[in-house]
Amino acid sequence: MPKRKLDPLPAAAFQILLSLADENRHGYGIMRQVEEQSGGRMRLGPGTLYSSIQTLLDENLIEETSPPRNHDAPNAERRRYYRLTSAGRKLARAEAGRLADILRIARARKIFRGEYV
Amino acid sequence: MSEKIFALFLRLYPARFRARYGEESLQLLRDRLRDETGLLARLRLAFDLLTDTALALPRAHRISAPSIGAAAASSHLTPSFRVLEEQPLRPGAIGIAGLLSAASFAAFVVLLSIAGTRHHWRPAQDRIAQNHPVSASAPPPAGNSLGGASTVPANASASAGAPAATGPAAPTGAASLVPLDPAERHRVVAAVATDLETYYFDRSLGQAAAQHVLFQENHGADDAATSGSAFAVLLTQQIRTATGDLHLIVDYSANPLPPQPVAPPSPRIPAAFRAALLADHCGIERAAVLRGNIGYLRLNAFPPPEVCAAPMRAAMASLNHTAAVIFDLRDNRGGDPTMVALVASYLFPRPQPWYNPREAQPSTLPAPFPAGHLANAPVYILTSVLTISGAEQFSYNLRMLHRATLIGETTAGSAHIGVFHRIDDHFGIGIPAFRPINPYATRDWEVVGVAPDVEVRAADALSTAQKLAATRLRASSLK
Repeated sequence: MPKRKLDPLPAAAFQILLSLADENRHGYGIMRQVEEQSGGRMRLGPGTLYSSIQTLLDENLIEETSPPRNHDAPNAERRRYYRLTSAGRKLARAEAGRLADILRIARARKIFRGEYV
Repeated sequence: MSEKIFALFLRLYPARFRARYGEESLQLLRDRLRDETGLLARLRLAFDLLTDTALALPRAHRISAPSIGAAAASSHLTPSFRVLEEQPLRPGAIGIAGLLSAASFAAFVVLLSIAGTRHHWRPAQDRIAQNHPVSASAPPPAGNSLGGASTVPANASASAGAPAATGPAAPTGAASLVPLDPAERHRVVAAVATDLETYYFDRSLGQAAAQHVLFQENHGADDAATSGSAFAVLLTQQIRTATGDLHLIVDYSANPLPPQPVAPPSPRIPAAFRAALLADHCGIERAAVLRGNIGYLRLNAFPPPEVCAAPMRAAMASLNHTAAVIFDLRDNRGGDPTMVALVASYLFPRPQPWYNPREAQPSTLPAPFPAGHLANAPVYILTSVLTISGAEQFSYNLRMLHRATLIGETTAGSAHIGVFHRIDDHFGIGIPAFRPINPYATRDWEVVGVAPDVEVRAADALSTAQKLAATRLRASSLK
């Protein structure tokens, strides 16, 4: 039942999918990337991070992968790395499209004052 | 937040989550501790972890609990077992659950016992208060009235006791709910002791009881009693223990007691009381002949014969030719022992020795009514828990004489034979002035009440009596 748990897609799960779009990362890497891409607004704590990761794993939206060869991080071989599956990429794209639709409506309703988003 | 504290936080997560992500979570914390230094960053980290725990914990438990729905859906209609919990319960969890269960069970037992003692305690207090309402509001003259007819207004009875002093209105001073102080307790105890020594008919026993209450006070037995009514109950227990005499009672009234009458009360009945009695039809609620020629007299009082002899004789005469009589005393609040004897005299062919706990000498019923036909008729008496005082004397004596069958409930249990001595505005003591001569081998009905021969609910007593009477009359007519 893939739609049950992640419909609607929680913000944390969406951010995690986005953080893995360009690079495979371990948990702490995901957390840092999410913090960066959200402008510091979202700092995922371990509980939220790993329960979201568990859900995404269960739904086959991400999967575990081997550490990159050319790692320079300490203890990198002991960390679990995650990467986006094709289903995950599809879902992230659909979610982004949905948000874009909403954004388009918001623009049409002229709720943005002057500044162009 | 140090790593150790966070490790404790992690224990709140489900076992499955910890096994899978515990080490990773700790690693993440170590990474953040390494990267985020400085007071502000550390404070932010602590805040993050706290909010994260609060928000993520329920979610972590939810996702780690396997879905029963999914298990059912995947069974394909074939019976199957699915182990929902992957790991056995931890011993610690079992221990905590056991402790919690034991604690809640213990708390339940404690609460139950507290509720239980309260429940048992209150009737005892109520009983004392209920048994002596008349003596508390109006000192009854010695040997004159058995209890008091409370179908007539209580203030009318008060005016009978002390007409000059109080007038028809019962005193309704502000209720004194001030807790007792030791000085007042001592005053009451001293007065109780003096009264016992002075008035109790058995001088040496009275002295022993007086010493007992003083001894108890000196040894702090009274310290727990902070309310007047509780103190009165306690003193009553003490003097009853010392003497074995259940007729002794210390009474407490929240309203100020009327002053002790100086002169003996006048034998004349005040006009207001007389009018109230007659307006109440002398407590005769109904006199009728029921189906099967069974006489029925619903009597709610035994009023003074000076006023009510004629109406009562008329009521008894109306039942004179019935084959059996039912006296319905379920709401009878007692009254005058002379009237009790008058009604009873109809039920015997010759003057009958009659127990009256208010008389020092053995007494006898008046001579039977000349044309009476009820001397040999079967008699049934209906009783309830409200049946009290003179009505209990009527029931007790006829039962002891095997003259009546009592049907209903055990009666209230009030012989009211003490003389009331006022101690102060709120306390008084009832002391029997003579030893009652009970001709029967059992004790009388004080406190214990009169037990019925046939125990049924008061509401069912009349129908039961009618059935019994009809059966008995049919049997005797067949002979």
